[in-house]
Amino acid sequence: MSVETFVTDKAGLQKFYEAIMAGHETYAPVEKFGKYDFKRVVRLSECDPESPISRTQSIKPLFFPRSAKVMKYVATSAGTEVSEVDEDPLAVKRVILGAKHCDARALQVLDKVYNWDYIDTDYQKRRENTVIISTRCDKADTHCFCTSLDYDLENLDAMDVLVVNGLDGKIYIKSKTAKGAELLNTDVTRHASRVTEEVSEPVLKKQFEAFAGSFRLKMDYKEVNAKLSKIFDTPEFEDVSGSCVSCNTCAFVCPTCHCFKISDEKVKDTGVRYKSYDSCNNGYFTLMAGGHNPRPVKYRRWRQRAMHKFVYYKERFGENLCVGCGKCTISCPVNISIFEVVNQVAQ
Amino acid sequence: MEQLLVPMICKVDKVIQETPDIRTYRLTFRDEGMMEKFSYLPGQFVEFSLLGSGECTFCIASSATRKGYFDCSIKKAGVVTADIHTSIEEGDEVGIRGPFGNWFPLDDIKGKNLLFVGGGIGLAPLRSLIQYCIDNRNDYKDFTILYGARTSADMCYKDEIKEWQDDKSLKVVLTIDKPEDTWASNVGVVPKILEEVVKPVIENTKVITCGPPIMIKYTIQSLLKLGFADKDIITTLEMKMQCGLGKCGRCNIGSTYVCKDGPVFTNEQLKSLPDEF
Repeated sequence: MSVETFVTDKAGLQKFYEAIMAGHETYAPVEKFGKYDFKRVVRLSECDPESPISRTQSIKPLFFPRSAKVMKYVATSAGTEVSEVDEDPLAVKRVILGAKHCDARALQVLDKVYNWDYIDTDYQKRRENTVIISTRCDKADTHCFCTSLDYDLENLDAMDVLVVNGLDGKIYIKSKTAKGAELLNTDVTRHASRVTEEVSEPVLKKQFEAFAGSFRLKMDYKEVNAKLSKIFDTPEFEDVSGSCVSCNTCAFVCPTCHCFKISDEKVKDTGVRYKSYDSCNNGYFTLMAGGHNPRPVKYRRWRQRAMHKFVYYKERFGENLCVGCGKCTISCPVNISIFEVVNQVAQ
Repeated sequence: MEQLLVPMICKVDKVIQETPDIRTYRLTFRDEGMMEKFSYLPGQFVEFSLLGSGECTFCIASSATRKGYFDCSIKKAGVVTADIHTSIEEGDEVGIRGPFGNWFPLDDIKGKNLLFVGGGIGLAPLRSLIQYCIDNRNDYKDFTILYGARTSADMCYKDEIKEWQDDKSLKVVLTIDKPEDTWASNVGVVPKILEEVVKPVIENTKVITCGPPIMIKYTIQSLLKLGFADKDIITTLEMKMQCGLGKCGRCNIGSTYVCKDGPVFTNEQLKSLPDEF
């Protein structure tokens, strides 16, 4: 794959985005009541690809919907008929603008579980049909710790196209995958000029160094992985989870949480089966018929949450199930921070 | 993924009232030819849907060596199982996904003495393997079944147990928790009867056990006390599951997914897991 890099200015970047919207089904951060979520957009004025980092939603719902219809059915005394749902949300190719690096990285982590054993073909199709354009952040936010985790943020290839605001005042647009190169080779880049890597790379590096120097939170993930893997029974989990209200918000906004539930809703003879987000913080999550529950109390559920993210997933799939985006902490009604939880328990 | 969550329709051929709160549902696939294609091994499970009420995980309680149907034995224990008991009658249709999970280590138990230790509804997964082994009887040496229930009325598969008792190549030991006037057999909890009555041969024997968690715990303690090795004790775990596909995230113990890596484990494997089940 040849790497394509273009340089432009603010106005040129806007024209780049507008050209993409004109030719592709496009999703971008849309602000409502001060919060951002990824929505289908047709005009740049509707959205803000440069939305602040402290967003509460990731791009995960575009690949793993919050609640999806699995099937419909009619069950009467005459028999049962099951039918697929009509809508196919995967038919068209689409482009996402304004994804953060943590959002894009989270999909690489999720790929592991979805492509393991039983393959989630819907997820895969959505992945294949999407081009992700991600702007590198200029400055870390309060709860960000992406540079402290097990992935190379500077050379991340989780997005198809990388956008960097150079410290020289210019904007750099670089392909990271064949899909990205293909997009940049169309007329969407007509308001930008090609630039050689000799020119662009030093600028990208400088920008990354400035960004990487702006983090309040730093941790040694290897130490956390190693220490947590040796702890199971510790009263620390009770300390850190005491204020949790089990609202599950952390899991619903997390870009890597992937637990779901299957539920049937039936009115008279007709019903729908849904696959919806669920969370290990739910008291009923592991409750069995008859009353047995291996995680009946909060600290056990928080232990599962922390251990799944920093021990179990790593053991199973080789990656931390946390990308350090801070979304859970921003949204938590009682200010529990996953960063503090794992660091406190690992001490 | 969504397609993997859509069940196939099965017809309920027969409903057998095993105990006051356990019924066996004998199922066949509605689509012709599907029953022949449905291949499973003892120890595997299915996701059973009563459409509109919900989906539950049940082991397959019969062996594929018995052709033309499969059984799920269901104890009334929660919301969906209560609905199943109330509303499903012979001729009704239910949804089935599967088979899922691993199976009993058929290669390891070949040529060995077999000791089955079951309690209550825990006989259901064992029954699949018992039937399989009876149908391949020459592959195994001594064949002992120890089964306990709270009361004689709480024993599952009563007719089949009689067949097992009539089979001279099987040793069947039954027990109930408290004495009853009409009960002529053993009285006492399973681990006690195991130690005092069954007195199993340790050498070249594989033990397969399932029952309520408390019974499994004390049975394993007894087996270890008798001298069995962890690798020769095999059990099958029950965990809350929904997808059965290793995705929905609720059946894990540490990094082990009970739905994919289990539900069948040796005690050697269980000992390496965090204590959370």
